[in-house]
Amino acid sequence: MKADIRKKSWRLAAAALLFAGSAGVMAQQKPEEEPFWAKGRPKTDTAMKMAPVPAFPIPTAADKLPVAKLKLPPGFKAEVWASDILDARGLRQGDKGTVFVSSLFVAGKIYAVTDQGGKRTVKTIAEKLFLPNGIEFHKGSLYVATPKDITRYDDIENKLDNPPKPVMVYDKLPGEVPHGWKFIKLGPDGKLYVPIGAPCNICEPGEGFAKIVKMNLDGSGVENVALGVRNTVGFDFDPKDGSLWYTNNGRDWLSEDLPNDTLNRVSQPGKQHFGFPYCHQGDFADPEFGWGKNCDDYAKPALLTGPHAGTLGMRFYNGKMFPEKYQGAIFIARHGPWNRTQKYAADIIVAWPDGKGGIAKMEPFMTGLVENNAYLGRPVDVLVLKDGSMLVSDDHNGAIYRISYGS
Amino acid sequence: MAVLALWAGTAAAQAPAAFAERFARNCAACHGAGGISSMALTPSLAGQPSFYAITQLFLFREGRRDSAAMTALAKDMSNDDLRGYADFIGTLPPPRPDAAPGGADPLRMERGATLTKRMHCTGCHGSDLAGGSQVPRLALQREDYLLHALRGFRAATRVGYTQAMTEALAGASPEELEDLAHYLARVPAGRPP
Repeated sequence: MKADIRKKSWRLAAAALLFAGSAGVMAQQKPEEEPFWAKGRPKTDTAMKMAPVPAFPIPTAADKLPVAKLKLPPGFKAEVWASDILDARGLRQGDKGTVFVSSLFVAGKIYAVTDQGGKRTVKTIAEKLFLPNGIEFHKGSLYVATPKDITRYDDIENKLDNPPKPVMVYDKLPGEVPHGWKFIKLGPDGKLYVPIGAPCNICEPGEGFAKIVKMNLDGSGVENVALGVRNTVGFDFDPKDGSLWYTNNGRDWLSEDLPNDTLNRVSQPGKQHFGFPYCHQGDFADPEFGWGKNCDDYAKPALLTGPHAGTLGMRFYNGKMFPEKYQGAIFIARHGPWNRTQKYAADIIVAWPDGKGGIAKMEPFMTGLVENNAYLGRPVDVLVLKDGSMLVSDDHNGAIYRISYGS
Repeated sequence: MAVLALWAGTAAAQAPAAFAERFARNCAACHGAGGISSMALTPSLAGQPSFYAITQLFLFREGRRDSAAMTALAKDMSNDDLRGYADFIGTLPPPRPDAAPGGADPLRMERGATLTKRMHCTGCHGSDLAGGSQVPRLALQREDYLLHALRGFRAATRVGYTQAMTEALAGASPEELEDLAHYLARVPAGRPP
């Protein structure tokens, strides 16, 4: 009953705000559920044409990749590091140098890329997985997180040609597909950090959702780390103080230009609520769920990273190759919006923490992938290699680029 | 749309004539010359977006869409083959409205039109049901194939990348699927339901 009332009031609020002039949609008697990403979409022709675009099912051939289009600060160079990796998304490096690559629903695979003196080999080490976006490497094992569970492939770097059966680590993830795919990372406290996104575009998510949790490596001792987190697909720990920073994807369909995605710092683990679904980007109360709420009651973001930007993977830079000014800076991949008329982002930005929990400044780092309002490629994750160079994954080309500095 | 730009260059580099000839040789026997099918349970390919076509060829090749005949054809195709066939399919003009099958039942047409709204078909397939990008054209598709596909999605025996279609049809009765297929097979593209 309550749910019905809530649904109705949302529809009324939405109609008043967004659907002015198209009252026809309210006359239906019993509308079926729309797909989760379409909920709240204005019924205007322009908005109705927008839908998520899956990665192209064929990787782009190495010689057709847009590497010549990439723009970087002076002294930096981009090259194709690996190609023919369908749906390449998350990046992690093993102790012996293997680069593991995750994917989403187009491929459903985990890949291992090994480097033999500049020549690289791509192997598929697991397939037919359910949205296996989250990966982490620790003490010889590769952890793989799907919306349903987390499994572990032991001694994987010695068994790339004959991967072991995965060991179940944790099988109690909700399995909801909306924002269910993972980004996982080992914290400085030895725990595995795991997000559980909101099961919707905008809704009252319930206690089990819209948060980041951490757990022991055997799946025990699950604790909340941050609440009110709509969907994070990228986080890292500040090498200076161990604090967790994460990117967050803002709600859809409110407007072309609001709300922003955000970069956030968790200063009091387990105690902070970051606003979803009541308050977006730290200062914008949701038109439905924000009534009676005060944005000042929630943790504020450290940086706004653009409306619908698709802010995903991020890493602190503490490698030895890039110029001194990049030490301790955060490199952030933006996938580029699917639900915004004017395409932008599809880049890597860099942000400098101010030492007081905020961000002092932000600059574009790798750009050039938006042309004629279309994407030439879409960055997903970044990885700092042991030599200090940086890899960038591009799921729409099925490729990985390497960015280096100097000769 | 954005993604088309990724490979428009390669597409132009392929000789379209080669794939016109290969389509005529390998596809037309079942899908019809010009991609208008007159074979039972076999879809028309005319008017399908190339992104949709390549996605289906990819799923057949990987054995992820259930059709022994299509998987047998696709399993040895290279990436360039997939692009070539999909690009060619993308150039085929859609079926003409006057080619719609007869036997329209006004009551079922009305129920079908209502259903496309209730089931949110137009939310992805477009107000003219002509599809676009990775989403297939429904307007003027063969009725028996539409019904076969709808039943497959409803029963979750056909899956795409996700269960989106199964979820979309969760509330549809068997009779409603029949009405939908009846309507979609006859609705002229360009005329919103």
